[in-house]
Amino acid sequence: MTKIKTIQEAVKLIKDGDQILTGGWTVIRRPMAASHEIIRQGKKNLHIVCGTAGTDTDLLVGAGCLAIGEQAYVGSEKFGPAYNFQRAVAEGPEVSGFTYDDNSLLFAWLRIQAAAMGVPFLPTTSLLGSDILNPEYDTLKDMRGKNPKLAKKKYVTMKDPFFEGREVILVPAIKPDVAIIHAQEGSKDGTICIKNCPFGDRIVAMSAPVTIVTVEKIVSNEEMTKHTAENILPGMYVTAVVEMPYGAHPTQMPHYYDNDPWFYKEYQANAKSKDTFTKFVKEWILDTKDHQGYLAKLGEGRLQAIKADPVCGYNPTMERKV
Amino acid sequence: MDNNNKKDYAKQGEYLRQEMMAVSAARLLRNEMVLVGFGLPMIVAILAKYTNAPELIMMTEAGVYNAKPEHTPLCVADCRFSYKTSWYGTPVELLGAVLPTRRADLAMLGGAQVDKYGNLNSTCIGNYLKPKKRLPGSGGACDFAALANRFLIIIEHDKRHFVDTVDYLTSPGWVCKKFPENKMVRRESLGMWGGPEAAISTMGVMKFHPETKEMYVESYYADLGVHAEEIKNNTGFDIDVSRAKPAIPPTYEELDLIRNKIDPEHFIVPKFDASKVAR
Repeated sequence: MTKIKTIQEAVKLIKDGDQILTGGWTVIRRPMAASHEIIRQGKKNLHIVCGTAGTDTDLLVGAGCLAIGEQAYVGSEKFGPAYNFQRAVAEGPEVSGFTYDDNSLLFAWLRIQAAAMGVPFLPTTSLLGSDILNPEYDTLKDMRGKNPKLAKKKYVTMKDPFFEGREVILVPAIKPDVAIIHAQEGSKDGTICIKNCPFGDRIVAMSAPVTIVTVEKIVSNEEMTKHTAENILPGMYVTAVVEMPYGAHPTQMPHYYDNDPWFYKEYQANAKSKDTFTKFVKEWILDTKDHQGYLAKLGEGRLQAIKADPVCGYNPTMERKV
Repeated sequence: MDNNNKKDYAKQGEYLRQEMMAVSAARLLRNEMVLVGFGLPMIVAILAKYTNAPELIMMTEAGVYNAKPEHTPLCVADCRFSYKTSWYGTPVELLGAVLPTRRADLAMLGGAQVDKYGNLNSTCIGNYLKPKKRLPGSGGACDFAALANRFLIIIEHDKRHFVDTVDYLTSPGWVCKKFPENKMVRRESLGMWGGPEAAISTMGVMKFHPETKEMYVESYYADLGVHAEEIKNNTGFDIDVSRAKPAIPPTYEELDLIRNKIDPEHFIVPKFDASKVAR
């Protein structure tokens, strides 16, 4: 049996209103091509959860696909602020249709870990002293208890019942429908390999009942057994494997390609206003029809310019200030 | 600069504020476990590793351990950070295991606002529920401030950044919030360890009074034209300047490392241009 699917088939597994989470880290190894297909299929009212959100979240907010975000950070690091996200939050949910609630990074990751373990919550000694615990700032308060994907409470405080009685914060599991990650290699049986720092992608994939993995390259089942320690997932956690070369562009894909500073410059300039960003999404995503069309528009010259050194993982000579 | 002994101190007009900040912070680092964030903190940690703390171990919340970058990374997850490291952890391990078991000695945090107790805001400007400006959010900052054995604040110095009350308390300082009462309490009373050791600003280095936990000025960048009174005038709360001394300038060696080895492409520290520096 094969897990190999087309991106169109894989993204059809996501329904309007689903809770999704994505792998990678801010501007590194994000499932961008899968995000483009979400936009092309016109998905609406998605609920995004995850720790360090970056370019993919900003794009999905800007394209009008998201209704709820529960994250710890949204930004594109040195490439600039997440303008679409910032605008949507400043406008407020009445105008933008997007409600955002702040977690801390550990808060977010424990929620993902709890989902992966199948437990309703996990405790932490972090968060004390911070407005993240301020009940007046719980932006999802009115939806809790009504939306089954949201925890009835943002958190609960309790005293450790086993040892010294220290106060701990219990954080609820997320309830994802679909996880999406982008990896270097995958095989027909669903084994997934991430070269270089894997971040928490293993836990992201394990937290959801359906996981879509886009990969730079599909290799044979046998080939995957040659580097078992780099394999982050077995087939039992993978629903679909989709070959998508440059599937993380413009984010960095270690050992394949670096961040694309020229694309970021254009993206950031357009993201500053809703009108220009709508045109940008039409030009780069809707009008290109599919990933091949997107890559053709980028052009061979660009794809070569960002190519990474296979040993160090990045492009050591590329001009990064454009 | 080439004719000077590398251990000599640079003179007025030979360095930038950002360089003075990096040097002031790096001198507070020891051979210890440091969690670094992107930006100046990264420069600080690498500088300390080249100078006073060669055994320092640099970690990031993205899971990199003992980073020795050969090119300036553009974020903590950039593979320029992970190149030649010996181990990768998950964020659950870095934030959820290393931090709460007190294995992280130091973290460095920036922000849009800081108050006299070292509480930091990196979430929003204005009312949280209808912000004037939304910022990226905590990331790991709240967890670092709550659970690292100590932390340093690295921030611009003016009345917009040094405020009486932060618009949103993202990362807890010495006197922080207790809920559901929503009242300010000492962090120890919440069972918390750690706390901010110093705030390194564009004007000087601030420390915290051992009893009152209020910020005071320890040193000011005299060579850059800063006086203690100027810090007072640019701080949005009453700050004690009675113990303030002129800061010790960077050495030529420290400047050479920042300019030619750590950030030669000037992603974080601007290029030094003698003609643009006020003497």
